[in-house]
Parts: sequence; C-alpha cells; structure tokens
Amino acid sequence: MTHLSEKSAVAASMELTFEVERFLYKEARLLDTEEFKAWLDMLTEDIHYWMPYRYQRYRKNHVEPTVNDQSYYNDDMHNLKRRVLRNETGTCWSEDPATRSSHVVSNIEVENTDKPDEYKVYSLITVNRNMNEDEEHLMVGHRTDILRRVDGQLKLAKRKIILDQNIFMNKSLNVFL
Amino acid sequence: MSNNTDYHQFIDNKEGWVDRRIFWEEEIYERELKQIFAKSWQFIAHDSMIPNANDFYTTYMGEDGVIGARQKDGSVKVFLNSCPHRGNKFCFADEGNTRSFICNYHGWSFGIDGKLGALANEHVYDEGDIDKDKWSPKQARVETYKGLIFATFDEQAPSLEEWLGDFTWYLDMMFDNDGETEFINGGIKSYVNANWKFGVENFIGDAYHALWNHDSGLKAMNNGEGFGPAVTENSFHASVNGHGWEFGTDGYADVVINGSEKWLNYVRDIIKPKIKDKYGELRSNIFGSLASVSIFPNISFLPGIQTFRVWLPRGPKKLELRIFTIVNKNMPEDIKQEINNGCMMTFNPAGVLEMDDGENWEGNTAVNKGYITRQEKLHYGCGITRQIDHEELPGIIYKGQFNDANQRHFYTRWADLMNAESWSDVPTRYTPRHTKTTK
Repeated sequence: MTHLSEKSAVAASMELTFEVERFLYKEARLLDTEEFKAWLDMLTEDIHYWMPYRYQRYRKNHVEPTVNDQSYYNDDMHNLKRRVLRNETGTCWSEDPATRSSHVVSNIEVENTDKPDEYKVYSLITVNRNMNEDEEHLMVGHRTDILRRVDGQLKLAKRKIILDQNIFMNKSLNVFL
Repeated sequence: MSNNTDYHQFIDNKEGWVDRRIFWEEEIYERELKQIFAKSWQFIAHDSMIPNANDFYTTYMGEDGVIGARQKDGSVKVFLNSCPHRGNKFCFADEGNTRSFICNYHGWSFGIDGKLGALANEHVYDEGDIDKDKWSPKQARVETYKGLIFATFDEQAPSLEEWLGDFTWYLDMMFDNDGETEFINGGIKSYVNANWKFGVENFIGDAYHALWNHDSGLKAMNNGEGFGPAVTENSFHASVNGHGWEFGTDGYADVVINGSEKWLNYVRDIIKPKIKDKYGELRSNIFGSLASVSIFPNISFLPGIQTFRVWLPRGPKKLELRIFTIVNKNMPEDIKQEINNGCMMTFNPAGVLEMDDGENWEGNTAVNKGYITRQEKLHYGCGITRQIDHEELPGIIYKGQFNDANQRHFYTRWADLMNAESWSDVPTRYTPRHTKTTK
C-alpha cells in the first residue's frame, strides 16, 4: 500500500504549491465576503462538490460513503447555482442580518496526478460561524480536492469534505466548506 | 406542576391558543418523557435499514437509548442500550452487523436478541450470585406498518393498528403506492436548539409558513418561480389520534419542490395511475400536492419531496433530527438518485428549505427564557370554524390547508396523554370508519 501511494503521489513543486495556496485563500475570502458569483467562477463547469453523511460504525463494519447515499452536499454546477440563487432572491430572511463566517484553510498538501493539468490537494477547513445575536458554531473538516488548470487558470473540479462531527452539531449548514 | 395538573389548561381549542410554557418548562418535559414517550409507539427504523440477520441500528425512544436488531428468524427486537450491571451503553455504533454486543466496562455480553450472555471473567461470580434470565436489558413491544418498525415500552398501549387508526387510509398512499418502500443508505443527524414539538407541529399542518418563509428556497428549486397565491379551496387538514396530514389536491407542488423533472414525470406516469387504481382518484390527486405529515408524537414526512424524519427530544430546548430519504423499492436506480438528490438539496441541514426552518424553531424556543414572554399565549386560531364532514376523508377534517387545525388536535392528543393515568382515560376524538384499506 505504502509503496503504491508513494509512487503515484508526487509532491508538487514549491511554485505550484504556492499557487494552490493562493487559490484556496482567495476562495476562502470570497466565501467570507459572500461573493458567491465570483466563487462560482473559480469552479469548473463539471464541478462535483460533495459532503457525504456520517455514521459511526464498529471498525469491523467500516464502509466508505458513496455518492448514491445521503449527503449534505452532492452538487453539480446546476445545484450550486440554485444555492447561490436562494441568497439573491431578496426573500432569504434567515440571511438578513447576514451570517458572519471565517474560513481558515490549513494543512495544505499538493500532489501531481496522472493528468498533467490536474492536481490533488488535501487541506483542513475550519469555519467559525457567528450569527444572530450571539450564536457561534465551529465546523472542522478534511477536504480532498482536484484542481484543474483551465486556460492557464486553476479551477476547482472536485471537492470531498469529511466533517469531524458525527451528529452535525448545528441547526443549519449555510456556508460552503 | 403538581400530580393533578390538568394539561388541557395549556391549550384552548375554542379560543385557539397554546401556552408557551409547554415549550420550555423542565417539569413539563419530564412529564412528556413519562406520559408521551414511554407510552407512544415510537419509530425505530425502516425494514430496509436492517435487512439481514444481526443487523442493528441504535436510536432513542424519548431519551431512552435503544437498539433495534434483526433476528435470525427475520423478526426485530428492540431493547434498552444500557448494561444492567452499571448502566453504561453497550453499543456505541450508530449501525452495523454483529452477533453480540459487549459492554466496555466489565465485559458483559449480549446477544443480538438482547439477552445477557457470557460475562468476562465470569469465575469471579459465585454460583447463585446472578440469575442471567432476570438480568437482560428491558425489551420493548415491536410492531410494523408497511416497512416502518415501531416499538413501545408500554405493555398496556393499544396495538399499532389501533394507534394509527384510520390514519392508515392516508399512510397507505405513501408507504404502499407501488409496492414496498425503502430508505436510501445513510441518515443525516443534526441538533436543533428547539423544543421537539415545533418540528412536529410544523410538519403536521403548517402549510402557511411555506408561502413566506420558504419563498427563497422554492425559487432556488423552481427556476426563480415562487409559490402561487395561497389556494384555500379543495385543500384540507385531516387529524386522527393526534396524527395529521395537511394537503392540497392540485397534484404536484411538493414534487416540484423536489426539483427533478424525471421524478415529476415518474409521479405522473407511474405513481399516480397506481394510486388511482388501488385507492381511487382523490388519493391520486392528494399524493404529490403541497402537503406535510406528522405521525404522533415525533415522526414527519413530505410525500413528493420524500423526506422522512424523526424528532428526538433532547431536553425541552433541544432536539436531534434524523433525516432519511424514502423511495419505492421497485423504482429504477436513476429515479431513486434523482429523488435523493432533490430531497437532500431541500431537506437536510444544508437544504435550501430546511435551513430556514431551524432558525424559526430555535427562535420560537429561545424567547421563552423571558419570564414575562412565556406567560403570553401563542395564537392557533387559523381556520377554527372550518370543520366539515367529508364523505371520503376519514378523521377530523377541516377545509383549507392553511389552517391550525391539525396543530390544535395534536396538542389536544398531547394533553390527553399527559393527563392519562391509564389508557381508558385517553378519549378517541374522531369517529373511526373501520375501513380496511390494505390489500
């Protein structure tokens, strides 16, 4: 196992790693400032944005979630646009006053893949969400992304988010992770 | 609250109000655990969640942790998830497959039937120290309705059939419209800092909030189009034993909210004709219309959108929501996936409709911290004079789905059970038809 993954996972150059980091930080900033249209522009048209359900099972009963199971997010571009549309209807009462969020991206690792224009990126996402009078929520998850270079620009093509929480501890997930 | 508190004092169906203290007071909540959750039939799991022998699923009946487990003979047993030695949970997994459970603390083991088996280091016990037959976790009564597994700890409770009563006239069109149903794999669990009754009463009859509160969510799912004007004709509230179904008869609004054209076509071409054949025209028009349902005390679902959920109480100010997606077993795989995706887009903590609901219910609950605030009443008077007799619809029927009728009857049932010392004290408040609707 170790040999195989070491062989296929070639760490990216410092230059590429730096570029990916800048990309992820910019994405985090756009999400914090609710510039959702600009965020959508950072995604490929065939984006798959996925956050599966979580259960705790015994080790002997372990199964990996699939895209056919329940999931918090299992979105293509069409569905992501639906979510952004909701925020822009002018009748999204729960977002007025606006939610305040801080996306912290860390533990970034970049690997080359078999495709010359695609990179696999691991990162840790921590979101602090503050809303209404005094509600504060913390969400921490592991992200595995595929970034693709399209016309010279990096874009997000795939994202899988695995949250630490088994029972989702908050009433809503109104932020992208 | 004293022992002889009359819980009907907290609701008034003539003036149409509910006392806010039932959403806040610890003593009332403790009474609910005893009078509502320890008496009622509770949802445990869908058959499809534990299909094979030794499959199990852990959940709660009120705040009592239980395990629902499939036996070798195909039956299901439900028993407390608490070791009779020092009390610790002996299963910490949400689900899985196992031949036995072993308590982490001292190593007492329990079969898939819940019976106490071997003890670790059993030689420390002398002959006669323990009679194992008497020291197994408490078992609940288990009955099923069309794939839904229910349990109760009350030996005296009426049968599940009697508990559901004529409500099966409605339930059949959801759980038996084209053969058996199943749940999509998974189950999303979340906490909402709200009283459990706010979730239940929203689904039992609150079509009203959808128009205003869910305008943005509906526009997101329906290409920017909101709800049409509220139609009060040909729509109804139906209440049976505290269960409630509010519905229109226009045919497709909830299917549209799910957001899949493929599913919409499937409802039109396959589901509706089957319902018409089996149950007649009226029910084929009801299925898929703007509608929402709760089964007393804490189960809800949306026909057409296909979300199914249970509201588990976690104290008076918090609930755990467990969400499932319901489909028919015989549907093509792509239809199941369309339904699941639409269901998840709309109804889970990240759903474009669900995320507005939790906000409301937390607000409804939190304000009662104010002493003066919680002495004030809440208005439940919408459509209070609209009760009718309907020749086809069983139960207590009101005209117009924009109504508080099902909510009023839910709280009436709640008060009936809160007061009852025995089942003979619990009145049947509708006229049963004793219609056999199942084939």
